[in-house]
Amino acid sequence: MAGVLAAASPLLAHHSFTMFDMSKRITLVGSVTSFEWTNPHSYIEIDVPDDQAGTTLGGIKHWSIEMGSPSILMQSGWKFSSLRKGDKTTLIINPLKNGKAGGFLMVATLPDGRMLGNGPAQNQP
Amino acid sequence: MGACWGTVRRRINLSDTEDMMKPSLLLAAVVVTFTAPQLCAAPPDFTGVWGVYRGGRGADPKVAPPAAGALMLKPEYAKPYEARRALEAEAGKRGEQLATKSAQCVPYGVPTMMSVAIYPVEFIQTPQQVTIISEAFSEVRRVYMGVPQAKIDDVAPGYYGRSVGRWDGDTLVVDTVGIKTTVPGYRGMPHSDRMRVTERISMPAAGYLHDQITIDDPVVLEKPVTYTLAYKRMPDYEMVEFVCDNNREYIDENGVVRMQVHDK
Repeated sequence: MAGVLAAASPLLAHHSFTMFDMSKRITLVGSVTSFEWTNPHSYIEIDVPDDQAGTTLGGIKHWSIEMGSPSILMQSGWKFSSLRKGDKTTLIINPLKNGKAGGFLMVATLPDGRMLGNGPAQNQP
Repeated sequence: MGACWGTVRRRINLSDTEDMMKPSLLLAAVVVTFTAPQLCAAPPDFTGVWGVYRGGRGADPKVAPPAAGALMLKPEYAKPYEARRALEAEAGKRGEQLATKSAQCVPYGVPTMMSVAIYPVEFIQTPQQVTIISEAFSEVRRVYMGVPQAKIDDVAPGYYGRSVGRWDGDTLVVDTVGIKTTVPGYRGMPHSDRMRVTERISMPAAGYLHDQITIDDPVVLEKPVTYTLAYKRMPDYEMVEFVCDNNREYIDENGVVRMQVHDK
């Protein structure tokens, strides 16, 4: 039945996951520069020290991490205030296929230790 | 039956106004209230928030969405439609998504807005109007009750067209015309300005809602296509706003959806 309905309506509201490498996982440990509780997607902007995840830029590599929309994120426990500028956090992401410093969030570890996913089910932004 | 209820409620609503203070109207409202229930069964109240219900293994077949009918386009429309689907599939294999309107935050319109990913829809029902709000993209459609439909050529083409409704027993029947041809149709199908969408909205069981959607387009379709969306009530859910003001997806020079990353 799910397949039938899938054919009847968009599975994703905004765009597909094609641009992300869903088979690859990268762990980013860094400092949040902004948490954008916005539509059609929320974003975590994060500075990551250069000993992680690839090339360097003045000792820090900056990443843009896409999430679901606020509506979707709320279903897995996120709030607009879950992250703030300066928070230290660990993100597991699926990186962009084009090699740019961006990706799609799989799970975040908040400063209080809670681990939050990216919606009620993965792949539902 | 439902239309009768609608008429009754309309009169009773006068009591909400200062006109209620007028003795003659007060009497009218009371008379209707006491005489009508024997003649008119109240229609179901769809007011509230409804989440997508997919059924799945073990679901009660009564509330699970039934299988969709076949989408049969006329050959001259089927060919470019299938060609586009093939291009999309090829792009997917290359790890690319071809441009879509939704990636540019263009709303879905009728009827696709009735089920977008897992976003809920909200019904606000009054005797005169049923308002349907989709959380994704905050789309709104208004169904005017008990009024005649306009001629297609008299409706300014738009995303939601003009919808009128009536009660057929416990089923809300909604007729919509005037969807502009640039609004992608069911499964991305093309459609003409002659498209007519008929919905039969009902509750197959308490707490569940079905929207049986039939698309008729004598220009594009070999025969009308029917599919049914199922929903489950979300009693405590408060709809979340969805204003697309931070769209970082853009379309590159090859018509591919890309994500913009920030340097800082």
